[in-house]
Amino acid sequence: MMQVLFNIIYTTAIYMLVSVSFSLIYYPVKFFHIAHAAIITLSAYLVYLFLNKFSFSLYLSIAFAILITIFIGIITEVLVYRQLRKKNVTSLSYFITAIGIYVVIQNCIILCFGNNTKIINTSKVSVGNQFFEAYITNIQIITILVSVVLFIFVNLFLSTTKTGKSIRAVASNSNLCNLYGISSNKVILLSFGLGSMLAAIAGILSAMNTNVTPNFGFNLFMYGIVAMIISGVGSTRSLIVGSLIVASAQHLSAFFLDTKWMEAATYMILILFLIWKPLGFSGKALKKLEV
Amino acid sequence: MEYILHILITISFYTLLAQSLNLAAGYTGLISLAHAGFYGIGAYTTAILSTQFGLSFWINLPLAMLICGVIGYTISLIALRTVDDYFIICTLGIQVVLFSVMNNWMDLTGGPLGIPNIPSIHFFGLNLDRKVSFLIMSLIFVGAVWFCLKNISKSGFGNTLKAINEDEIFTQSIGKNVYKAKIISFTLSAIFAAIPGALYAHYISYIDPSIFTISESIFILSIVILGGLGNLKGSFYASIFLILLPELLRYSGMPDNVAANLRQIIYGLLLVAIMMSGKKGVIALLSKKSIKKV
Repeated sequence: MMQVLFNIIYTTAIYMLVSVSFSLIYYPVKFFHIAHAAIITLSAYLVYLFLNKFSFSLYLSIAFAILITIFIGIITEVLVYRQLRKKNVTSLSYFITAIGIYVVIQNCIILCFGNNTKIINTSKVSVGNQFFEAYITNIQIITILVSVVLFIFVNLFLSTTKTGKSIRAVASNSNLCNLYGISSNKVILLSFGLGSMLAAIAGILSAMNTNVTPNFGFNLFMYGIVAMIISGVGSTRSLIVGSLIVASAQHLSAFFLDTKWMEAATYMILILFLIWKPLGFSGKALKKLEV
Repeated sequence: MEYILHILITISFYTLLAQSLNLAAGYTGLISLAHAGFYGIGAYTTAILSTQFGLSFWINLPLAMLICGVIGYTISLIALRTVDDYFIICTLGIQVVLFSVMNNWMDLTGGPLGIPNIPSIHFFGLNLDRKVSFLIMSLIFVGAVWFCLKNISKSGFGNTLKAINEDEIFTQSIGKNVYKAKIISFTLSAIFAAIPGALYAHYISYIDPSIFTISESIFILSIVILGGLGNLKGSFYASIFLILLPELLRYSGMPDNVAANLRQIIYGLLLVAIMMSGKKGVIALLSKKSIKKV
């Protein structure tokens, strides 16, 4: 049982990181940037590439991978989404475009690296540290620490600094921001950069704990999204609650039922939530239009 | 010859799938990513009924449509509480749940091993296991479904659906029951998706869950979008194009797995190009007809 508790804490940390990275992008642009999933996968594969093929040191490969993913995130924004914003299209068009970008990046990854499982071997396999009859590996401890630190950092950044406040301002009304001299394009670019960076960190940390398959980013991303929807879109702090619910649902269902139902449990939670509380925890409205 | 017939049959399946999704996605604006799930429900229903109870295709098909309809109706009650992007995410979640059930409910679906030995279709004592006769039959189904969808889209109900796609609140304000119309359109789309599912199960005679995944849903949606939302003929052309594409790539000397990935890259790029140009589908992209919104 202690082990389940530790697993829940670790998974919560990872999902929290993913959902924060996604919500940083989602708040200002207000559409589901599905390609984010491919970006998570890409970061892990890049670390694998630099580490195993070019035999760079671990920290150097992580740094390069993060830089490249930030670059790709920014490129999608500049080349595609910004052009769409000029045309003022509906949110469905953004969604479909994002699916298109996701399919392209995802298949480029499969084309380059193949469909089989890759392992990022960082160091010799350690048994893990024992706390109260539960095993937890070093990388899991690092993940929890990094994710907590980054979460606090993002919250402080959004609430205290001027740039952080401008992201929130664009999130609440981008046209008004342009009138007041905050360039919404610049702010969105920044949020894409930051979001992709956090996604890369989450992807790399998670890949070090498990293995890398072409689909792992998509699953991680979907859990992050489910956490975001459950916690109610609009508040960064409540993402903790959402991630905790998703992580507990998965591990408890694995513990009491079977590990094969983990995935379904996540989405059942989402569906139950949509029946019970279509607006999520914090109750921010998602209605199409208030007349 | 067998190979060409197989490709033609596959095209007819995807035409059925894309046109049925087009009713929900194209006319009503309900972009659903659960379509492969309904396709799977149709296939699994016929597979289970024919292998375990020995029922013939002509009983299985209506039953599969019924079950798909009931499940589609239930799902639409849940999913339609949300709008726009959240609807898509919700259908995506439903797709994963449906796949998970197919993959993990060992007793009913056989899990990842699937269901083998599904008998072929008999029609008045005539065994339709030859590809030519099967192709003719699936073409009849394509024609029938196309005719139905065409008439639905032209009827008053079809106009309501188009109005919902254009402006939901205005449609509600002139006294149409938007929620009900959406439910009906989503359910009908699920019912029609059972037809290719049932045909597929009897044609291949073996099904496993790996066919009914989320990427299959994305692929069906891509056919609809490439062909043009609300354009039945477009869905037909787009499925011809997307099924022939990997075969053409293979003929140009590419290995199998590269061709498959390259096809996905091409349709991904086409999706982005279509959305960026603001046109409805590839056909509209080529003929300079522009529209205001998708």
